[in-house]
Amino acid sequence: MSAQLQFRDVTLGYDRHPAVHHLSGDVATGALLAVVGPNGAGKSTLFRGLVGILKPLAGSILTGGIAARDIAYLPQSADIDRSFPISVFDFVGTGLWRQTGFFGGVGKEARASVAQALAAVGLSGFENRGIGTLSGGQMQRMLFARVLLQDARLIVLDEPFNAIDTKTSADLMALVEQWHEEKRTVLAALHDMDLVRAHFPETLLLARGKVAWGATAEVLTAENLAEARRMCEAFDDSATACAVDTDASKAA
Amino acid sequence: MRAWRGLLSILAISLSASPLHAQTRLNVVASFSILGDFVKNVGGDRVAVTTLVGPDGDVHVYTPTPADVRKIADAKLLVINGFGLEGWLPRLLQAAGNRASIVTVTSGITPLKAGSDADPHAWQSVTNTEKYVANIRDALISADPPDADFFRQNAQAYLTKLEALDGEVRQAVGRIPEGRRRVISTHDAFGYFAARYGIQFIAPVGVSTEAEPSARDIAKIIGQVKAEHIPAVFLERIGDPRLMQRISAETGARIGGTLYSDALTGEKGDAPTYIDMVRHNITTLTSALAN
Amino acid sequence: MIYDALIAPFIEFEFMRRALAAVVALSLGAAPIGVFLMLRRMSLVGDAMAHAILPGAAVGFLLSGLNLFAMTAGGLIAGFAVALLAGLVARNTDLKEDASLATFYLASLALGVTIVSVKGTNIDLLHVLFGNILAMDDQTLLVVAFNATLTLIVLAVIYRPLVIESVDPLFLRTVSRAGALAHLTFLALVVVNLVNGFQALGTLLAVGLMILPAGTARFWSRELTGMISIAVASAIISGYAGLVLSFQTRIPSGPAIILVSAGLYVVSILFGNVRGVVRQLFPAPHLEA
Repeated sequence: MSAQLQFRDVTLGYDRHPAVHHLSGDVATGALLAVVGPNGAGKSTLFRGLVGILKPLAGSILTGGIAARDIAYLPQSADIDRSFPISVFDFVGTGLWRQTGFFGGVGKEARASVAQALAAVGLSGFENRGIGTLSGGQMQRMLFARVLLQDARLIVLDEPFNAIDTKTSADLMALVEQWHEEKRTVLAALHDMDLVRAHFPETLLLARGKVAWGATAEVLTAENLAEARRMCEAFDDSATACAVDTDASKAA
Repeated sequence: MRAWRGLLSILAISLSASPLHAQTRLNVVASFSILGDFVKNVGGDRVAVTTLVGPDGDVHVYTPTPADVRKIADAKLLVINGFGLEGWLPRLLQAAGNRASIVTVTSGITPLKAGSDADPHAWQSVTNTEKYVANIRDALISADPPDADFFRQNAQAYLTKLEALDGEVRQAVGRIPEGRRRVISTHDAFGYFAARYGIQFIAPVGVSTEAEPSARDIAKIIGQVKAEHIPAVFLERIGDPRLMQRISAETGARIGGTLYSDALTGEKGDAPTYIDMVRHNITTLTSALAN
Repeated sequence: MIYDALIAPFIEFEFMRRALAAVVALSLGAAPIGVFLMLRRMSLVGDAMAHAILPGAAVGFLLSGLNLFAMTAGGLIAGFAVALLAGLVARNTDLKEDASLATFYLASLALGVTIVSVKGTNIDLLHVLFGNILAMDDQTLLVVAFNATLTLIVLAVIYRPLVIESVDPLFLRTVSRAGALAHLTFLALVVVNLVNGFQALGTLLAVGLMILPAGTARFWSRELTGMISIAVASAIISGYAGLVLSFQTRIPSGPAIILVSAGLYVVSILFGNVRGVVRQLFPAPHLEA
């Protein structure tokens, strides 16, 4: 299988402090990859680099030539203006951007898709509610519905099941598995190890750098998890320039 | 503040003591261009005149600059209009720590009223201007006694011209048919002119350049122009000309041209001196109001 | 009696008819923009823009004297520069729109004052540049009508990306470049409306009829198209009533219109359907489900 994503020795971070340090590896097309790790491990940062919001401090991320509109991104906490007067239906409808663009009509078909997506996440009947009236979990499900509509080839979900009850997360996980069956590439950052072991064939254990990457059973061993826990969360203000980089440039 | 004033005083004294000042040109500052013109005519080459509000400026709403503080600090005589024209002046004087003598050229003139305040535009009547010139002459003489005769001669010559000008204006008005001696103007600065020469100026806004008309005001003006067959409408240098054009369009009154009231123009303009200004105004008025 | 007060002035006087036409056109263009400004927390941009255009007007004045066309053109250019620079900075740095606009307009104003004082005269350029609704000549009426038409057309075009960009900018950024374009186009539209509005009608009216109706609409609708309709209606009513008020009393026309608009706003705060004060004090009983 060809690689959908290639991380080439990529370092991502803020203010010269790396949150993801020298990561290399490939994600195959159609993979279902869980990204796990302790808080501060760099999962969200990695995803931001992936969708193009954050530029790497070093190295590169190759996306196999797919365009921005082929990527659907569900961020951890979206900077959404909840006081904006828009209905759930219209908000979710923006997921149809690929089809409609600036002007495309939102015809009968489109309306049906939106209704379907809402039903799939358990939000039927919420069509005309203003987005400001939703609870956290309902908001999350609404964003999920939008991802559904985006019909993307690469789907990036950052802690998608936060604030959602178990029944709904089971329903949503079923949707994720359906995407996998549809040969879409899915990456999801998760905390629930049981969920990962049950549904995700591939896992990347991240603790700033790669601890382990491969089949889930081999990655999520007690040893690896302990090593990941040993990662230090805070940035070190007195750190020197990256040894790996300077060694590499000396070697070159 | 005290250090600042001290510094200015030192500066003023050292400048006046310097060789550059050895030739006795009297340093006079006039508040705006029209007064500046008078001072030049009376003082001739014995005075160095600077004005604060230059040609085409608006003396009502002027904001002084630090350069003006310098000018005043260097001056021996400050010539101002008074009657509330230079509202910005007291603070400027405070800042400059003024030691010059001040002559208010309207002293001795009874002001006309504009609302509850005095109408400051006394120079619109040439006879008032003659009083201005007399006051200026006397002030120059006290500031520079050795040149008294020079000043008296110049003043006399200028006064003669002004008297002739006054006569010119009255004759010109006389030639306008009586029923047509009324105009609309945006700027109510011609009260003294109206009182002296008998042309009625009807203005849609008040004396200040800031006031905005209400729809009722405009409707009343239009009504009046139509009812009384007022022949002409005049644009002012300051103010919205489009308002006048609208009134003219709706009443059929002629747009007369530009009248100058608060400032002289630059060298190349219609009114570089006071006498030119008055002549321009009366010529414009007569041609608009003629049959 | 009612006829005399409400209709007669417009029959009798052409300047009243023109003023009414102008205020209707202004409402159609400015009110929708105002709704977006309010939702994007940019309500003070009008005042900022009134000052920001000074260097452009000053350069126009330096080059062509008191030529309204030159000064307006200069004002437009300065306004665009400030709005676009502020927009770009807000998009690409940590500085949000309010701060980036504030910094640029202040710099622009200072530059303008400097340019004017270089020339030496102290003509209040902005005063000259700002017009009056009672003085609508043919050319100005055309400008106002053109504004309104341009605004409605462009808004219709950028409506969708503008909405998405306002509610969830991150989403649009990850799927399309349209967000930046919509944002900057919107800013340009704001500038055109404001500068032409200033020149035709003065700052109070041009800004006031953008912001006040939008604020009013907030209390009557929970939904964007509803807000826009109410804002436009509120602006037109204010214009009409304000003109009548200015005709019957000595209140100047601009302030009269804005006073009516403000009155509508206060009434809305108190009695509006959506979170009006009276509604909050005396809520209706809650439903079964």
